[in-house]
Amino acid sequence: MMVRPRGTDGSLLSSLPWTIAALAVSAAPHLPYLPIWISAALFGCSIWRYLIERRRRALPSIWLRALLALACFLGVLATYSTISGVGPGSALLAIMAALKFLETRKRRDQFVLLFISIFLVMSSLLREQYLWSLPYLIVSTIVIMTAWLRMSAAQDETARQSFATGGRLLLYAAPLAVAMWIFFPRIAIPFWAVPMDTGTATTGISDSMSPGDVSKLSLSDAVAFRVKFDDTIPAARDRYWRGLVLTVFNGRTWSMNDPFEGPRVHETVSEQGDPVRYQVTLEPTHQPYVFALDMPWSWTLERTFMGPQQQLVNARPIDQRVAYEAVSYLDFSTNADLSNYARSWYQRLPDASNPRTQSLAKDMRSAAGSDAAYIEAVLRKFNTEEYFYTLEPPPLGNNSVDRFLFDTRRGFCEHYASAFAVMMRAADIPARIVLGYQGGEINSMAGHLIVRQSDAHAWNEVWLERHGWYRIDPTAAVAPERIDLGASNAAFEGFGAAWGLSAPSEFLHQLSMTFDALDAKWNDWVLGYGPDKQTDVMEWLGMRDPDWQKMILTMIGLVLGLIALISLLLALRYRPPAKDAAAVLFQRFIKKTGLEQGIGETAERFAHRAMQTGTLPADAVESVTAAYHDARYGPVDDDSAIARLKRAVGAIG
Amino acid sequence: MSSIQWPSPSPGRLFSALRTGAAAGVGRWARRRQGLDPATTRLRPGRVYILPTGVGIVFGIMAFAMLLGSMNYNNNLSFVLTFILIGIGFVSMHQCQRNLVGLELTFAGTEPVFAGQTMRFGIAVTNHSKNARYGIRLYREGIESDIQDLHPGESKVFVLAVPTEQRGLITLDRFGIRTFFPFELFRSWAWLHMDISALVFPRPAERPPEPPPTMVAHGHRQHDARGEEDFAGLRKYHEGDSPRHVAWKAYARSGQLLSKQFAGADTSSQWFNFDDIPVDDVEQRLSILTRWVVDADRTREDYGLRLPGEEFAPAHGEAHRRACLEALALFEKGTT
Repeated sequence: MMVRPRGTDGSLLSSLPWTIAALAVSAAPHLPYLPIWISAALFGCSIWRYLIERRRRALPSIWLRALLALACFLGVLATYSTISGVGPGSALLAIMAALKFLETRKRRDQFVLLFISIFLVMSSLLREQYLWSLPYLIVSTIVIMTAWLRMSAAQDETARQSFATGGRLLLYAAPLAVAMWIFFPRIAIPFWAVPMDTGTATTGISDSMSPGDVSKLSLSDAVAFRVKFDDTIPAARDRYWRGLVLTVFNGRTWSMNDPFEGPRVHETVSEQGDPVRYQVTLEPTHQPYVFALDMPWSWTLERTFMGPQQQLVNARPIDQRVAYEAVSYLDFSTNADLSNYARSWYQRLPDASNPRTQSLAKDMRSAAGSDAAYIEAVLRKFNTEEYFYTLEPPPLGNNSVDRFLFDTRRGFCEHYASAFAVMMRAADIPARIVLGYQGGEINSMAGHLIVRQSDAHAWNEVWLERHGWYRIDPTAAVAPERIDLGASNAAFEGFGAAWGLSAPSEFLHQLSMTFDALDAKWNDWVLGYGPDKQTDVMEWLGMRDPDWQKMILTMIGLVLGLIALISLLLALRYRPPAKDAAAVLFQRFIKKTGLEQGIGETAERFAHRAMQTGTLPADAVESVTAAYHDARYGPVDDDSAIARLKRAVGAIG
Repeated sequence: MSSIQWPSPSPGRLFSALRTGAAAGVGRWARRRQGLDPATTRLRPGRVYILPTGVGIVFGIMAFAMLLGSMNYNNNLSFVLTFILIGIGFVSMHQCQRNLVGLELTFAGTEPVFAGQTMRFGIAVTNHSKNARYGIRLYREGIESDIQDLHPGESKVFVLAVPTEQRGLITLDRFGIRTFFPFELFRSWAWLHMDISALVFPRPAERPPEPPPTMVAHGHRQHDARGEEDFAGLRKYHEGDSPRHVAWKAYARSGQLLSKQFAGADTSSQWFNFDDIPVDDVEQRLSILTRWVVDADRTREDYGLRLPGEEFAPAHGEAHRRACLEALALFEKGTT
């Protein structure tokens, strides 16, 4: 077997740092998602390889490398238990890069590393897309291109030259990329199923609720979705964004019912009043829930269905930002005749749990006389007794509702919704919990509504005889400002004011609204540039009945035109220098004399010879020669000499 | 630095034979198309060819895969990345070709060598444009020059080191200039056919027989008062004559260079005779003669060379040596 030499000679010193930089830039967005040992391996191997080159050492032996490769592969398998999907895929890429460093011997071996960094950039874009993703991808492309040029450059070329060349070529490529991007036909349906990404944490609302488990609500400012209304934006107290419905309580945790077990008959909804039309741009949640204003009537998102409790569910998790139009009726009633099965489902409580609450509910119900009066009484209890709205409630043990209602008396929407539902069920009133968002902030600059994760909310629905399901928000009874101002502001009123903090300054608010408007436009036009939007743009550009053939043809035409233009630019850039005007005019004069200028013969000697032959008048020759000398050896910016020379040459017949 | 070997995808024997055959055919086609180039040739766009390299093909496949991925995920930013890469591919194709167009190539001379040594053909490449040309190299089957950058207005000599086997005229009937700049995705090249040839002297024999003895002809010495030999007359100046023997007064009068001849000077001379060498093989005889000439030249003794049909009277000096070696190189090869 031929043994490949493993020694290094320092020839990679000029390009290796750039290759390392390219990989660092392309791996950076993955770092929060990668297991720490992979980041460490990538970092360690690149530094190790650089030191080997610096000290002219030998590369590690093939056995060591094979051992490392096996260990890393098993490590990825152990971490992810699969190797498909963006998470494990980028982990594998990073590991491959780390190992490739250790067997990079020739300059050409770095090609593999640069290809890997391109794929890493690509997979980071598949994972998440933000406003800064475009600058990031441009910067990383420039770094990768510079590294590429460093790798193939002559040794005396400086990094600055490589950088300038990379930047210039990117500048040429930019219009081509834009043209292709606009005109390349977008299709709606993927070729193959996008693999479920198990490595990504879900954001937003969870599908179960255990008040008192996590004693602190995250006040994430992250945008959940943005809404653009066709007409006026409904008032804050009407903006209940229906998400999922929890119907099962085990004494501690509320969860959704199994779709094959719980009530399956769709409830009939009758809408009244004017419909509200709006478009929602939903950020990826990696969950299947779709949000719409209560009560949704129609929606344009594909593969989205309405569950038996009027919750919208997509067939797949929302892994990418989606936009949909929806119509809702704020004024509605459900006239469901609840079947005995459904009624008992919504009344079910674990017998032994929260005994104090159950007995209190029974007492209050019998005192109230009617269901409606009982509901009034419970809400009044929340409102008038010492209950507080706080985002940092104390933890609750078992029988969390008992603890909350009788002891701690502090909590946010989940605590109140949970307690209220238990109170209802204990009094045999069908009740359930709806999770979603409430309110949202109006960005008057962009004219849309921002609903943030901190606007997540829980409320109740109770079923009343002859009335159907009826929305009740017990949190509103405790903290009406939560409903009118929003969660974070409500909390601020309570605590911030007590500590002497003022609300965020107007300027910062304006700034954040500007950023939000920009972000929304970006999402709308760049990230959300899909088949529909593309058709609109094509029509706006004057294309009649746009279809993919026309777009492809336009794209090819544009690309060819741009390439011709670039080719012309390059030809101009590399053209030989123009002959100077004086020399051209003197050549014309020589032609007119009918003689030939000898090699090394100066203009003066030629003129002398031309005069001797006598074919031309001596004074004409003299004036040409004098003007030529002035033009050639006079001040650089003196154009009059050229003009004189032109006249003098022209005067000769 | 060492040149980067490009891109021969693992050649089977049949494949490499096909490749060689195709290359020869394409070469003949290019020669017919372009004709013989003058000693100074500027590269026009029409004769600069371009093809993707192996890396370029991988790059193209990668870009296509990225396009499919972007379409599948309907991800507009990965579309951006993909289209930037495709755009860079297009741009680098044109940049690669332009990196050669307009360069001026001039044959910059060569020195004769002995068979077995390396013939170094110098080709000067000039960049007349206002922008630098990067990563330029010259090549000829299996041989590649250094890689050099040409800054605006710069002219650099590239050396094609061609190994020699046989004596005679070696011609550089075809060579190429190529570049992989900027990203090695494309290789653009031009073929040149200049009338370039150089002389290869026979390989000097390693263990030659003893050269024939030196004949010393003692002239009849008649010293004059100043101790110099007798002046015998003037003859036309030959290259290699001592300046002390030039008749400067005669030159001043007539403008013609003459050398003084002295009778009675010691004339030691060797005759190297082709026919006297006790070896049958012609090439070996030439080899031996070459060795004798080279050795004798070092001692600055006069020597003469006698080949069938050709004779060089005893003399020494660079011109004499050159004339003898040339005759040996071209012996029975014709001097067209």
